[in-house]
Amino acid sequence: MDRIRRDFTTVTLVMIPVAIAINIAVGQLVVALKLPLYLDSIGTILVAVLAGPLAGLVTGVLANLIWTLTGLAPFAAAFAIVAGIIGLMAGLFAGWGWFRRLWLWLLAGVLTGIVAALVSAPISAYLFGGVMGSGQDFLVAFFRATGASVMQATFGQGIVADPLDKLVSFLLVWLTLRALPKRFLQRFPRVENVTGRPE
Amino acid sequence: MLLALAFAVPWWACALTLFLLVFPLAAVAQVLGPLARTLWKIVLPFAIPILLIQGFFWGEGQVLFTLGPLSFYRAGLIFAAASIARIAMLGGCFLLLSMTTRVDMLMRALVERGLPSQALYLVVTTLQLVPRFQAQAHRIQDAQRTRGLETEGTLWRRAQALVPLIGPLLLASLMDVEERALALEARGFSRRGPRSSLVTLHDSAGQRWLRRFLWTLAVALILFRLFAWVTR
Repeated sequence: MDRIRRDFTTVTLVMIPVAIAINIAVGQLVVALKLPLYLDSIGTILVAVLAGPLAGLVTGVLANLIWTLTGLAPFAAAFAIVAGIIGLMAGLFAGWGWFRRLWLWLLAGVLTGIVAALVSAPISAYLFGGVMGSGQDFLVAFFRATGASVMQATFGQGIVADPLDKLVSFLLVWLTLRALPKRFLQRFPRVENVTGRPE
Repeated sequence: MLLALAFAVPWWACALTLFLLVFPLAAVAQVLGPLARTLWKIVLPFAIPILLIQGFFWGEGQVLFTLGPLSFYRAGLIFAAASIARIAMLGGCFLLLSMTTRVDMLMRALVERGLPSQALYLVVTTLQLVPRFQAQAHRIQDAQRTRGLETEGTLWRRAQALVPLIGPLLLASLMDVEERALALEARGFSRRGPRSSLVTLHDSAGQRWLRRFLWTLAVALILFRLFAWVTR
């Protein structure tokens, strides 16, 4: 309880809206570049590293709910739980000190991606018949053609796309936090995740 | 406010019948035209691939017609139609919500029901930040293109454009955080106790009764589905 109160400082509360806006802006940038990625959880991962797993969870869930409220992506709310889990896992990994070694951090990204695929497959299989209206639909078609069920095909698509997406996201977060001055990072409750020195 | 709670219901209900409810409600709220147009734009990119993928790759059952080496399956068509109906219904509800409900009102109502006031800040600020960030992303894109950054071409070339585009956006927005935190602290953001609001809510008796009715209906539907699922 005490740890939670220390994580949700004013700086954290200010950071969360910024992080959500980052999620949305970067996500749309990637769509504009026509890359086969989403990169719509960079802000969530940033918060998770700097303010702990619970703050990451809150950011992820809120991000998707707000995405729906703005009318930009009406179905984002259905995947709020997935976004929350991504934030939670990123925060836990960072708390175990995985952020300080690049290869461990990238491994954390891949693991998070696998879990994200596992959780989101039933949602998109049930809601959309597995089709997201994106470039990755051909993957679903491919798996269906090999005789997989809707559920298996959707999971197949996720397991190809999500770990790669989270790997790149985690890498970008790592690069960003390395580029920020320590004086700035010092403001956040979990600065030791980045700098390595416990308070 | 009313609509927000109303949409707890249709999720479990039959997709099409409630879809017929959304349009009359939208007409009453005078957003039918924009709602239908946006919904059409959203559903179409889902509908076509769903039809093609599920129709052609179902792999078993009755064949409706054959196109070269591909056969179109009846079961696939039914599955696709059900998915599309569900998407349209869900999309319609969400759109109706976002088109008819003022976010500040919704959040005010939630705070009155016991949500911490910091949550109010989170949501309202985010909604103000998003358009600003989108504008900034555009500015960065233009600026980097002026300097000769290629944002089109092969996959590898487009991937290379990622860091020069995202980097400035992330760094600039993060540096902003500290300043905002100081400004909020100076205005008593973390103090305890109730606050007064500029927004006042009107909640009529009719709205309260309808809300209770919808809650009961939602719970009943969930129980009904659970029961049907268990005894199947």
